[in-house]
Amino acid sequence: MQVFKLCLKVLKKNKATMLIYIVVFLVVSLIMSSAMTKDEQADNLFIQKKSNIAFISQENSPLIDGLKNELEKVANFVELPDEKEALQDALYFRSVSYILRIPKGFTESFMKGENVQLEKTTVPDSLSNTYIDLCIDNYLNNARLYVQHVGDISQESLVLHLKSDLSVNTSVELKTKSDKAQNHIYANYFFNYMAYSLLSVLILGMTALMLVFYDNNLRRRNACSPVSARSMNLQFILASLLFTVFTWMIMVIFCLLYNLDNSFNLNTVYFLINSLVFAVCGASISFLIGNLVKSANAISAISNVVTLGLCFISGVFVPVEFLGDSVLRIASFTPTYWFVNANNRIAELTEFNFSNIEPILSCMLIQLGFALAFFVVALVISKRRRFE
Amino acid sequence: MFAHIFINRLKCLLRDRETIFWTMMFPLLLAVFFNMALLNVNNDEMFKAIDIAVVDDSSYQSDRHFKAALDEASKGDGRLFNLTVTSKDNADELLNENKIAGYIVVEEPIKLVVNKSGINQAIVKSFIDSYMQTASSVNSILFEKPNAQQELVSSLNERQQYVKEVSATNAEPNNVLNYFYTLIAMACMYGCFFGMREASDIQADISPLAARVNISPVHKLKAFIYSFCASLILHLFEIFILLMFLRFVLGVDFGPKTGYVILTSVLGSITGVSFGAFVSAIVKKSENIKIAILLGVSMTGSFLAGMMYQNMKYIVAQNVPVLSYLNPVNLLTDAFYSLYYYDTFSRYALNIGFLCIFIVVFSFGTYLIIRRRKYASL
Repeated sequence: MQVFKLCLKVLKKNKATMLIYIVVFLVVSLIMSSAMTKDEQADNLFIQKKSNIAFISQENSPLIDGLKNELEKVANFVELPDEKEALQDALYFRSVSYILRIPKGFTESFMKGENVQLEKTTVPDSLSNTYIDLCIDNYLNNARLYVQHVGDISQESLVLHLKSDLSVNTSVELKTKSDKAQNHIYANYFFNYMAYSLLSVLILGMTALMLVFYDNNLRRRNACSPVSARSMNLQFILASLLFTVFTWMIMVIFCLLYNLDNSFNLNTVYFLINSLVFAVCGASISFLIGNLVKSANAISAISNVVTLGLCFISGVFVPVEFLGDSVLRIASFTPTYWFVNANNRIAELTEFNFSNIEPILSCMLIQLGFALAFFVVALVISKRRRFE
Repeated sequence: MFAHIFINRLKCLLRDRETIFWTMMFPLLLAVFFNMALLNVNNDEMFKAIDIAVVDDSSYQSDRHFKAALDEASKGDGRLFNLTVTSKDNADELLNENKIAGYIVVEEPIKLVVNKSGINQAIVKSFIDSYMQTASSVNSILFEKPNAQQELVSSLNERQQYVKEVSATNAEPNNVLNYFYTLIAMACMYGCFFGMREASDIQADISPLAARVNISPVHKLKAFIYSFCASLILHLFEIFILLMFLRFVLGVDFGPKTGYVILTSVLGSITGVSFGAFVSAIVKKSENIKIAILLGVSMTGSFLAGMMYQNMKYIVAQNVPVLSYLNPVNLLTDAFYSLYYYDTFSRYALNIGFLCIFIVVFSFGTYLIIRRRKYASL
């Protein structure tokens, strides 16, 4: 088992650099996954997150007071001076995400049934802002109905009516098999990020190995040793598989430890299987890269471009929903896309029957197919290289 | 003398393909990736109709107003829902297979059944809420004015939007821009690889090339400054290529103040190169360690400035405001963004001021370390 031992020695020598990668990735993915989880949990049916808004009214009337009371259900009010710079800064630093301005004369025009509007200044793309828009529109649209059809309604009775109307609520029933709603958002994000860290570390380790073994002088020396090529290759493959599984385990264990409460279920098992499949695929990608790269300097360049490229287009960093159709079509020719796809499906699983599992299994099969393809291409290249 | 050193140094640097890759090709590639990934973020047409079901029973069939409202929302191109009218068992099955976001049971009050709670479910709930609230208003109006029914029904459809967006400045706030601005900032900081080479190639105890340079009859500081200029010019050139690429190929908006954008890039480039020189002068370890430190600092800086996750910038600004002023990447990003966003210059000036302090510290520090060093034996 000399070759096997040598592989481990080479890997051990490089463990410092790889460890840096592993630690940095773990920290970053832990931070990002928890930040994302927080973001996502904010969009909850049952606990509405209140966003901070500035309510600047240039007039006072019962109608406006009623609106303010209604908005209290979805927002916290932050007092801000009505100065341009202060408002800009507040938006810029996100101390408020929404500034609502009620222009002078709004109530009077509104009560006459005229077409008037409020002014808002917002932080873009904020979901909670949609709720505020919705709340205001609901309030004023209902108010308009009263104003139009109950001719001489006073503001006070209008507000009273609106208050009772707007307190009507849909009842929501949450159906899951288990007693408590399970939360796989964290694991979903973590495993998606793992695509990046796993690929980087695997490429780093494998290329380090390959650079040693493909050194021309060393290869010639090895070729005349009394160890058969077959045994040598087998030992090499064994060592790289061990390395792959070991790296995979380190990352997975961290995720499970950090997220212990949500870890004991079937979803986690599927996450694990899927990531192991991806790790194998990653190993074969690294094997291919190791066969292509000729100098140590090029490794970091290639590994960064490949990992970042794969991860960006297949929804590791940016959620798949945000990616354009054409990008996704290109991405479907990469294994990361199928890995992320499977992860996202697993996170949604509540019932484990065959029709739900089947798409996940096919995602895994596709990844294995990719692994095989990369491996074969790498073998062809290495065969060619041997005759150089 | 200047021309001689400058030109030869430039040639020398241009042949260093690895550094050129990291300082120019890598940011360009990242820009392409960012563009692919973020293309749709600001796109309004992202909304896809939500699949829902409604339980087909006698109470649904008899509630013709709700039925009409649902049908209205599930019609046309910009529809809100893809509606399936089906039996309760079938709806349950669809829900289990995640084919629908939830299903509606018409009772008193209307019930929404879901198996998880996310954005789509929240939209469905808002829709029903809004319907029921309007229905309640209609009922109380009819109670007071029973003969208004005809007019009421017609005015129900005229739902109005009561808020209009007014920008705080002349520029539209834009989340995607920040990613590209951090990218430029990162590219500026990557100038540190040039700076590192410059400082290594002037200290005779570090590289053989430096030993040769040191015995030539040129004042050490002059030699250093001349070749430093070569690095700076090359790096600036790369940054301008990146800026042009972002502006004209990817169409990133930098706001109207082009002159200041260029000034910011120049200062950013100087910060990057002098940072590299400073670290290289102060750390007396192998090149790998230096690279690790440089990369670590600039990547952590980029992360904190929001390159990987935009809200990180605001998390830092709210919780550890000091850190956002100690992070050159963030200062640069912020400078670009304030040029784009603010009408006034106060915020921009603040960022640039801090950046200049960094430049002075790095340059003066480097000067103090490498000046007047003589080598008795190498």
